[in-house]
Order: sequence, then structure tokens, then C-alpha cells
Amino acid sequence: MNYFPDEVIEHVFDFVTSHKDRNSISLVCKSWFKIERYSRQNVFIGNCYSISPERLLRRFPCFKSLTLKGKPHFADFNLVPHGWGGFVQPWIEALARSRVGLEELRLKRMVVTDEGLELLSRSFVNFKSLVLVSCEGFSTDGLASIASNCRHLRDLDLQENEIDDHRGQWLSCFPETYTSLVTLNFACLEGETNLVALERLVARSPNLRSLKLNRAVPLDALARLMACAPQIVDLGVGSYEDEQDSESCLKLQAAIRKCTSLRSLSGFLEAAPHCLSAFHPVCHNLTSLNLSYAAEIHGSHLIKLIEHCKKLQRLWILDSIGDKGLEVVASTCKELQELRVFPTDLHGGGNTAVTEDGLVAISAGCPKLHSILYFCQQMTNAALITVARNCPNFIRFRLCILEPHKPDHVTSQPLDEGFGAIVQACKNLKRLSVSGLLTDQVFLYIGMFATQLEMLSIAFAGDTDKGMLYVLNGCKKMRKLEIRDSPFGDAALLADVNKYETMRSLWMSSCEVTLGGCKRLARKAPWLNVEIINENDNNRMEENGYEGRQKVDNKLYLYRTVVGTRVDAPPFVWIL
Amino acid sequence: MENSNSYSPYSSSSVDSTKPSPSESSVNLSLSLTFPSTSSQRETSQDWPPIKPRLRDTLKSLRLRLRQRGYNTALFVKVYMEGVPIGRKLDLSTFSGYKSLLENLSHMFDTSVICGTRDRKHHVLTYQDKDGDWMMVGDIPWDMFLETVRRLKITRPERC
Repeated sequence: MNYFPDEVIEHVFDFVTSHKDRNSISLVCKSWFKIERYSRQNVFIGNCYSISPERLLRRFPCFKSLTLKGKPHFADFNLVPHGWGGFVQPWIEALARSRVGLEELRLKRMVVTDEGLELLSRSFVNFKSLVLVSCEGFSTDGLASIASNCRHLRDLDLQENEIDDHRGQWLSCFPETYTSLVTLNFACLEGETNLVALERLVARSPNLRSLKLNRAVPLDALARLMACAPQIVDLGVGSYEDEQDSESCLKLQAAIRKCTSLRSLSGFLEAAPHCLSAFHPVCHNLTSLNLSYAAEIHGSHLIKLIEHCKKLQRLWILDSIGDKGLEVVASTCKELQELRVFPTDLHGGGNTAVTEDGLVAISAGCPKLHSILYFCQQMTNAALITVARNCPNFIRFRLCILEPHKPDHVTSQPLDEGFGAIVQACKNLKRLSVSGLLTDQVFLYIGMFATQLEMLSIAFAGDTDKGMLYVLNGCKKMRKLEIRDSPFGDAALLADVNKYETMRSLWMSSCEVTLGGCKRLARKAPWLNVEIINENDNNRMEENGYEGRQKVDNKLYLYRTVVGTRVDAPPFVWIL
Repeated sequence: MENSNSYSPYSSSSVDSTKPSPSESSVNLSLSLTFPSTSSQRETSQDWPPIKPRLRDTLKSLRLRLRQRGYNTALFVKVYMEGVPIGRKLDLSTFSGYKSLLENLSHMFDTSVICGTRDRKHHVLTYQDKDGDWMMVGDIPWDMFLETVRRLKITRPERC
């Protein structure tokens, strides 16, 4: 390859798009490192505190797309206090100062501000795509800046963000001459929507492929929107009130029939029980269905809909579908690859909506299944062993038994053997979440068999430090380990400090690690940021010279970094 | 740390980090396979089960809406009598108010159960609210009580 001019090598590199592969390429030789540097288009940073924007720009001066992730995963479940960090402002400012031609920004679990969005909208002439997932800190004013200033915007995708809705006119801020919209997702906005502005925007967007509405968009508006955009591929329905007048329903049905390109359906945020039947005509083409917010729709209506969806590849649903409903899925959706079943009853009310039977049925009926997230009240080892035998192709397997420490409900044994069977059979398993009554034994299995495992979530499991040690020693590809309410302590934490250099991060909350242990770790590994988070404390721990033997109260979050201690930590975060 | 060879029926993990419930931990440990104080913390807390805030809010408002419309959404809570390790489960949505609740409990536990201030003679009913605090039953309106109650405990006469 050394005999080819750089441009040729660069052209070859253009075909290599995965981050891992490009990272590997850059390690081959100095020449390749240089060529790869200047030609990298998409940069992915899994932890915004692992590197600084300045160093990023020094290494990759020409990128067009940046993906940044901030808070750790458990922030999704209220375990990270407000104000912890993940601020995107310094990144936007640094990028704006440089001459990078940013076209796409994808943020996950970060704090974004209206000022930041305004700066973003003014700094990059060719900015095309903004994707914000589980972010917070901004309002519809920020969206108004994006709409007003980004002449070439294609995608505005807001997924599950906390947005302060000022009920302003952000939708009418898109200029009348603006026609390049491809993706518009504002399902997470809580306030009123300017329906007239929305309809006009959709009507002048011939390239619109994905439209996800919020709950303020009623049925008749939906019908008009769909009539304007029959080319739509991905639709998120907003509000769907009880039996509207028959004329609205007819109009909607007529509009739906024309949407022959529709492949993905979601939303139904306030959905009346009988509304799904209008969508039956398009079901045979659907590949993705997300009904996880349609809490009021009865299982029987869900089943009637799914019976028509023979091509479904992805299904997100509530457990109100029941085991019987999952059996229908298993016999109908032979192309199913990903299934998520969310709980409707959070307090263990006693109604067993889905059980191990539903999971077994799916595993038996859907040969292409590779990703599952399953919430249930009960499980057995026998069922898990059967699932493992039926489906050795799992890449992601997440099982959440709602009651912590719950054993196999038939044998009263721990679920070690069941999960053991899963990791042994599924040689490509990259992500695993375990639950129920579990001893150190399950971690022995995980360490032994889960050779490709990159992310592991543990809650209320294990007996001793040995459990955590099995995982740290065995899973060579581990990147993210998150543990809560499990009896792992200093011995496990400190056994192999260098392991953390190969991982993105470790989270341990309500475990047995002590302050002294964490301090020792921080001393041994200066390239780690070791954070103690306690929202009730505000650094009193530090002032009072807490005893080293004191248990960490109550969260430990550590991650590798090349830029040392972060300067934006709030008082309740103590970085050792 | 509990025994390390065979599995311990109760992980000792969360003992220190949960608010200790004085009578609970000593009474229920022997037979229960879960750690009552832990699981109740989880039941009341905002961080378990691991679902995103949006879904959590959706489910909460759903229950409220259904109840407002008169649908019978079951509300099973655990009921323990102090001194008795094995509890019962009760569907609070079947009662019209405190009076019928007390009548039913008195019948279930074969003793006189009352609300209100301490009494040397009677068993007093207490409840754990969604913040994890133990409170006297009867102070707040019944509907509000249904929203916040997580479990019930019938105390021994002298304790309160």
C-alpha cells in the first residue's frame, strides 16, 4: 500500500466507515495514521469527559459528524443527580471557534442550552442534522434558533428529551423557502403545537420521510398531515382521542391507505382503545412498531393489529399484550429481530401479564431474534435454558424481573443456571442485563463464557467480591460495567487496576466499596477519573476527613480519560 | 457479608443504604426470600424498575385516569401484622374508604384494628408512603392515600 499515492489510499479508506475499523487502520503505520486522521468524517466519543474538544480537533481537523455521550447509562433511571455534568457548551464553543465544517451533531444524555443551540445554528453553514437523545436543559426557543438559521437542515430528531416547552412559535420559524426537511421528531414536547405552521411545513417538504408528532396533534390534523405526506416512511402518531366523528375517521383511513411507503409506526401517546384498526391496511408492510406508550390500548386490540404485521422486525410493546399476545407474535412475526416488552404494573400488583411462557414462545417462534429486553414478574431456570437452546444468536439479552432477589418461582433456586445457559449458548452476546436471585455462580459463568460481552448491568445480585472478579478477569472485551445494590467491595475493585484502561467506565452504587478503597484506586491510576457522587452531601465528606473504611455513600463512577479531572463538577461530586 | 458458600436467601447488599424499618427487618427475615425493606424501597423509589422517566410518568397518569373513570385498577399492597413473619396481600381498590379497610383487616387478622392515635388496647394501622416513610393511617383523604400507600403494617398496641 506504500506505493499508492495518498489520494488512492484515502479513497480506499472512504469505504471503511466503522469507528473500530478506522481506529485499527490508524494504528498500522505513521502514514496511514496521517491519512486516516485527515479523512475521518464521523467521530464518535462515548464519554465526553474522556477527551477535550481541543484534542479532538487536533487529531481530526476535518470531520463532519460528531457523536457525543455524556451521563452514564443509569442516569436514565434517576440514579445520577441533576447537575452532575455532561455539558455540551464547551464542545459547541470550541467547534465554532475552529474551522471544522460540522454537518451533524448527535448527543446522548447531555445538557444542552438554548445559547448553545443558537451558537450551533449560526456557526456552521452546512449544518444538516441534529439528533438529541435523552438530553435536557433547553427550551423551544433553542429549537426556534435551529429552525430559523439552519438553511440546509435535514434532520431534527428529538428523542425522549426534557424540553421546556414555551409554547412558542418555533415551527413557524422555518422560513417559507425552506423545503429540505427529511426527519422531524418532536414527540417529546409536552405543549401545544402550532398546527397551521406544522401543516404548511409538511406540505412544503417533499423529502419528508420521518414525522413523529407530539400529543398535541389531534386526529383530524393527523389525517391532513398524512394526506400531505403520503411518501412518509416513519410515522409517530400523537394524540388519538376517543371515537371522533366518523368523517375524521374516514379521512384518516383514506389518508393511511395512500401511505404505501410506511414502514415504521410509533407514538399513540394518548390512544383510545379502538383506534388501531385504522392502521390495519398498512400493517403488512410494517417493519417497526413501537407501542410502548400506548398504555390504554387493551391487549386484544394490540393482538389484532399484530396479526397483520407479518414483516415486523422490531417490536416495542407493553406487557398488557400478555403471554397469549406474545404467542401471536411468535406465530406471526417470523422476521422479528428485536423485541422489547415493558412493564405496566410497577408495584408487583400480582397480575402476571407476561411470564416465562411468553419469552419461551418468542424464542421458539422467531428464528431471527437477536435483541431482547423483557420485563416480567417471574422466571424459571428451565425457561431460560429453553430460550438459550432456541436462540443461540442473541447479541443483546436484557431480562428484568421486577422484584429484586426473586428466585426461580417453581424451584426456588437462584437463576444462575438459566443465565449460565444463555451466556454459554450465545457466543456473540455483547450486552447482558441480569436480575432475580443470583449468586456468585452466575458471574463465574459470565466470566467463563461471555467472551464477546461489552456491556453488563447488574442489580441486586451476587454474594461476594468473587462475583465481580470473575467478570473483570474473564470478560476481555468488557467496556461498560454498571452495578447497583450488590455486595462487591474494595477487593474486587482494586484487584486489577489496569483492567479499567481497557474499559470506558465502571459504575457502582449501593455496593460495599469504601472511600479508602476508592482513594487507593485513584492513586494507583491517575489516568482514571474516580468520582464519588452523593447528592445529599455537597462535599461534607471531604471536609470532615471521612474515615477510609467508610462505605461509599452512595455512588462510584470511574472512567478512563486523557484530560484529567474535569473542571465542571458540582459540589456533590468528589473527584479523587 | 452473609455465607459465601451456598447462596444466602437474602443478599446483605443494601442493608446499610436503606432506611431501616425497625420491626420489619427483625420479624420478616426468617422466612421471606426477599429483603422487605429493600424491595419496598425499590417499590417506592424512582430508580426501580429501570424504566425511563417518560414511561414511568405515562404509567402513573394512566392509573390516575383509569381510576378517575371508575375503572378497577387493582392496587395490591402487602400487609404485615407485627410479630407475624408471613404477610398478606390486599387489593385496596376494593374498599370504599378507611372504614371498610379497617373492617376487612380486623376480620382478616382476627383482632380489632383502628386508625388514629395510640391506644394501649387496640392494634393501630400504619402505612409506608411512596417516600418510604411510615405514617399513621387516616390523616389524609382516601383517594390521596391510595396514591401514596405502598404497604401496610398493623402495629402492636404499645409501640406507637
